[in-house]
Amino acid sequence: MIDFTLSKSQQANRDYAHQVALEEMRPISLQCDQTEEIPESFFWNMQKRFWAGAAGQARAQAREENEPGQGSLLTVLSQEEMAWGDAGLSTAIPGPGLAAPPILSNGTPEQQMKFLGPYMDGQLHWGALALTEPGIGSDVAGMSTTAVLDGDEWVINGHKHYITNGARADLVITFATVDKKLGREGILPFVVPKGTPGLIVGRIEQKMGLRASQTAELIFENCRIPKENLLSGREQSKKAGFKAAMGTLDATRPMVGALAVGIARAAYEASCEWIHEELPKGYPAQKRREMEAELEEIRQELEMARFLVWRAAWMLDRRIPNSKEASMSKAYAGGLVMKATAAAVRITAPGENSERKLFIHKWFRDAKVFDIFEGTAQIQRLVIARRLFPEVDIP
Amino acid sequence: MLNFAPTEEQEEIRNLAQSLASEQLRPRARDAEKRGDISPELMQTLAQTGLTTPFPEAYGGSGPIEALTYTFIAEELGFGDGGLAMNIIGSLMGPLTVALAGDEHQQKHYIPQFCDQHQGYLQRGSLAFAERSGGYNLADIHTTLRLQGEHCLINGTKRDVIHGQQSNLRVVLARVEGTTGPDGLRAVVVPTSLKGLSIKSDELKLGLAAAPSAVFIFEHASVSGTYVLGKPGNGGAIRAATLYQLLRAGVACGMARAALEYARDYARGRYAFGRPIASYQGIAFIVAEMAMKLDAARLLLWRAAQSWDQAENGHEGYHTYVREAEVAQYQAVKIAKSATLDAIQILGGAGFLQDHPVEMWARNAAAME
Repeated sequence: MIDFTLSKSQQANRDYAHQVALEEMRPISLQCDQTEEIPESFFWNMQKRFWAGAAGQARAQAREENEPGQGSLLTVLSQEEMAWGDAGLSTAIPGPGLAAPPILSNGTPEQQMKFLGPYMDGQLHWGALALTEPGIGSDVAGMSTTAVLDGDEWVINGHKHYITNGARADLVITFATVDKKLGREGILPFVVPKGTPGLIVGRIEQKMGLRASQTAELIFENCRIPKENLLSGREQSKKAGFKAAMGTLDATRPMVGALAVGIARAAYEASCEWIHEELPKGYPAQKRREMEAELEEIRQELEMARFLVWRAAWMLDRRIPNSKEASMSKAYAGGLVMKATAAAVRITAPGENSERKLFIHKWFRDAKVFDIFEGTAQIQRLVIARRLFPEVDIP
Repeated sequence: MLNFAPTEEQEEIRNLAQSLASEQLRPRARDAEKRGDISPELMQTLAQTGLTTPFPEAYGGSGPIEALTYTFIAEELGFGDGGLAMNIIGSLMGPLTVALAGDEHQQKHYIPQFCDQHQGYLQRGSLAFAERSGGYNLADIHTTLRLQGEHCLINGTKRDVIHGQQSNLRVVLARVEGTTGPDGLRAVVVPTSLKGLSIKSDELKLGLAAAPSAVFIFEHASVSGTYVLGKPGNGGAIRAATLYQLLRAGVACGMARAALEYARDYARGRYAFGRPIASYQGIAFIVAEMAMKLDAARLLLWRAAQSWDQAENGHEGYHTYVREAEVAQYQAVKIAKSATLDAIQILGGAGFLQDHPVEMWARNAAAME
């Protein structure tokens, strides 16, 4: 039955994430953005909060309430809150991060145990996903990083960039082609552990926004990994690797959408607060009404974006194919966060320089990438269109 | 707990409504527009399905259903044809308002005629909502009700009252004089011939021509207090008005979906420069955008309908569901307007001709305001 109310465990999960955002993220948000550095204490606090206490409790409660398979929903609920706190910091929370979806979808039970098990040891660990290459974004099939089997080892050569947590990740899931002639069928996911000879960290990018988030370049030079580090897939289809790459995006797009909703909400709230608290005396009443009407529109779109995100995550948890819905959630939220942050900048422009304005300016800078990563706004529309026109070739 | 799957029963009702929409409404849409009304045959067909008689079984109805289920039906009807959908729903709102707001005596008096298996299908109801002062929001209702002992005086103007002219049961939304906010709203039945009420049919309408409508002008029209539905403060007028908003939103979603699917099918079959026009991103992206915004609006509507249903069970006050219903209606009408105009654009010159229904749909969507 259609239901928009959160269960107790879902609400608890969301409340907890909000508390973390408020207590751990907002206080250091501006500083981390300016310095592009995160204090070590933040990592440890996050490690304790998410791997020791609450996460385990939420899982236990979900079992108690007989709510199996709601991992993605719980994730998007907490992602929105954390991005409300700081989207950059939320990408730096210890854990396998974007490395988890391909391991879970394409790894054997042994591989899942082997690669994800260490994340539970109470120490600081990260994971990363290396998909993008210079010149290759969403056109994954045109990838040029290669993997060649040499005896019991794969030898990886290539160049990857825009990798979140790339320099601190304990595991990098790297997509590479075993035979370029095979096109998308030749693309497979490999697990490359930190410290493997030939895995070289290139430059750390300086960005417009999400500056606390680490974006690294990784270079693979005759990087040798054991044969069993190929995530060979539980299904032995030829396209398993490409499917894993695409499946990863179906899983991560709603999460990125949730982050965008969180930033948009932060900007919306700050705009409302500014009107209530700081509107200069003598400000024309007509202009105020216009601003309020614009913010009401944004509030409605926030709700729609959130529901699109929830639906895509809900489908994912139920293993219902969700490419179209995942792209809708990402495209809608990506557009909205730009609109909401740009409106916040414009609405508060006449105000005095305050911390609130610094936050708004930061969110504006953070927002732009949500129209870009995990597939640009245009790529999302292409994905939706291809699902709407399955028999038409849309180049 | 979050869930986006309709129940099996809802799916069945939706399927029934969908086949009705595709087989009965869509093929008769142009005729209905020219005729300016639904045909008696179609009314009879509809009555046989039970979809248009969601009244208590005690009065011969097929039993009340949830607002959420009703938004499914409204979407399917709107998908079939927006004009006929508003004709059907506009009629339904008369007796539905009595069912939601009226006391037992009033229900017994007004509802059974709509459930009569032989003649009931020809009965029309109507609910006068919008005024010269705005659209279909509660705050736009300014028609006043002055309570004077046993009688009340009605003053104000109602526009676009579907079936306003030929209705057998005219219900009017008005506000107790001097009140603000939803608490002061009342639903009043208007007697057949009432001094001080003039009714004028709308002619040459932009859209929704298949749903005949009229303007009501009340000038010190005096009715007995017994015509006011229910006890003061029972909230029935609010329930009825917001249900109308939800159903209008459902119809609007259906209009948008019709436009989306029609444009999609056309873009598959129409070739330009040797390729289907759907293969050009300039076209495909418009369709993708329509689908995305429609889904977003529909989710908003489902949530509003759920809140409406929950409020009935005493979960919360009206403030939440009133706001949600109005927002859902606004967003649904917005996507209906943009999707139907986009559909014309995708059809190009063909879309401007009456050979295709999209020009009618765009006029219908615009007339939802």
